[in-house]
Amino acid sequence: MTPTVKRYHPAMIALDFVSFIKGWSSVFLILFIFKASSSSSLVIGGRYLFFMGMFFSIVWSFFKWYFHQYEITADTLILREGVFVKEQRSVPFERIHNQKSNTTFVHRWFGLTSLTLETGTSGENASFRFPVITEEEKRRILSHLEGNYTEENNQLEEPSGRTIHFRSTKKDLIKASFTSLSFFAIFPIVSAIYFNLADYFEIEKTAKTALDYLFIHWWMLLVLLIPTLALSCVIGFIKTYIKYGNYVISDDKERIYIEKGAGNFISFSIPKHRVQAVVVKQSLLKRMLGLVSIKLISAGSFEEEKNQETSSLYPFMPKQEAYRILQTMLPHYQIVEQMERFPIRVLWLKLLHPYYLTIAAIIVLLIFKKEWLWLAALVFALSIAERICDYWFTGYIRYGHTIQIRNGGFTNKTFVTHLERIQQITVQHSWLERKFGVATILFSNKAKPLHVSKLYGVSKEEAVSFYNWYHQKSAS
Amino acid sequence: MYLSIEEPTEKISSNAVSVWRISNTLGHLSALIIAAILLVCSRQFGWYVWIGTVLYGLSGIILLSAIYSIAIEPVYLQRTWRYQIDEEFVQLKHGRWREKHTLIPMEKVEYVRSEQGPFMRRYNLYSIEVGTTTTSHVIPAIPSEEAKKVKAQIAVYAKIKDKDFVEGEKGA
Repeated sequence: MTPTVKRYHPAMIALDFVSFIKGWSSVFLILFIFKASSSSSLVIGGRYLFFMGMFFSIVWSFFKWYFHQYEITADTLILREGVFVKEQRSVPFERIHNQKSNTTFVHRWFGLTSLTLETGTSGENASFRFPVITEEEKRRILSHLEGNYTEENNQLEEPSGRTIHFRSTKKDLIKASFTSLSFFAIFPIVSAIYFNLADYFEIEKTAKTALDYLFIHWWMLLVLLIPTLALSCVIGFIKTYIKYGNYVISDDKERIYIEKGAGNFISFSIPKHRVQAVVVKQSLLKRMLGLVSIKLISAGSFEEEKNQETSSLYPFMPKQEAYRILQTMLPHYQIVEQMERFPIRVLWLKLLHPYYLTIAAIIVLLIFKKEWLWLAALVFALSIAERICDYWFTGYIRYGHTIQIRNGGFTNKTFVTHLERIQQITVQHSWLERKFGVATILFSNKAKPLHVSKLYGVSKEEAVSFYNWYHQKSAS
Repeated sequence: MYLSIEEPTEKISSNAVSVWRISNTLGHLSALIIAAILLVCSRQFGWYVWIGTVLYGLSGIILLSAIYSIAIEPVYLQRTWRYQIDEEFVQLKHGRWREKHTLIPMEKVEYVRSEQGPFMRRYNLYSIEVGTTTTSHVIPAIPSEEAKKVKAQIAVYAKIKDKDFVEGEKGA
């Protein structure tokens, strides 16, 4: 029998080291490359400091690795960590909602992976992280969680019973790279390179003369522009590929699995019964292309790290396909396309609201740039367009225990949830709303942070019946 | 009545008006004093002119807000505040210009807490905070005896298990 108290894989020290190098790479570059020939005491001292820092970070990583231990008992997970300040945390398995594993490039070299378990609570200690463990160990932990661990079937029958619903193809990726406008990524990249170089070399002058030259010979600009555009498309595609390549959505009876990433391999899984709500999001561009992004809301949602919406199904899926997948995986969350629009008086009400953004724009322009005052008119026009869009797309439907709302102007959001998943509701009405015979309904769902849905302009009769619907929930 | 829903019935103490008046007066007074100190400073040390202008503007806003929240708001807030606790729900209602009805199921209630500030002690009042997993709601200014009763009542009712959670445990 294997000992129950375990440490992480020793490669954690190496990983820490790599992340140290990554974090301090710019310092390293300055000290050893750009100022390689310098003999100033600052640089020499800096080098010694750098090596000392490196040494200490390695020693620290070693201790950290040595003192971090975890233990899996029959139904609890216990974590001990801390070099000087000792800390012990334990969590019963049933409290764990989602799990996520992230395999970075460096993990891949060692054939390792990381695992994060999320509980439904909020706060610092809500998640349990195993930064460096082997694939097998991960499977062992997960099988403990699922409660079907036995000594013999250590090698779990992993993908059994899983149905794959979606696998991203090259065509999907191309579409995604255009929709996400990732080809604009070239601008920050180029400017970052430029400013980094400008710190060390005097390219500013050269750049200026080059620019002057280009403005005179404008055809050169065109010639340069075409390869630049091509390059930016390629970069955009590569960025999208790294993020969304090899996207696989699958499920079995209990859970939904999402795997993605070409470089950083991320896998995410959420038990179906923990899904609190489903959100369908559509930006203007996506609407034109008929794409949607679907997001599952759960109490232990992972914060969106570096724009990687983990709990979202593939964000650039054709609408019909997305709905079909959603329906097979979560039959309880059915999205109804046809929703009743609010009466036209709600549009007038929405247009009547104060135009704060326009007022702010006028004030700012008056103070700083009077001759650009016409910009305020543009802002005003956009606000009106936004409100009309908002009115046009806003919808509401309630049947059985399901409630679905849609709102938002240029980007609209459809939100579906169930009576049992709603944490609390509020019905409110202001003086203006009363004049128009409408009210606002709000309801919250467990999520991180709390998800509050707000729908403005519901007729007062419906607001009443919504309130009573929730009030009688236990009776029905 | 605008919406024909079953409204909560319990009122909060009429002394709430005085408590709010005292605490709002103190709050606005301290804000005004800070603004005044900054104004004097800006005179003395020759800060940019616009800082002075902004400070005057802010003081004006504070004064207006003081008039509203000392003379007008407490009366209406006290008159419109209603709450009700039964086995299944905590019901809250308040506000006049913007009327708000909130409904919290007992099974989502995680804790209940009573609190008493220095001014509330004078009138022997308590405020009750009802917390769910993610938010909390405060029922302000309930007479001490009543507050104890309400607190105990919520504590008893809230023992009902969360359906959502029980379901989850079975599935896991």
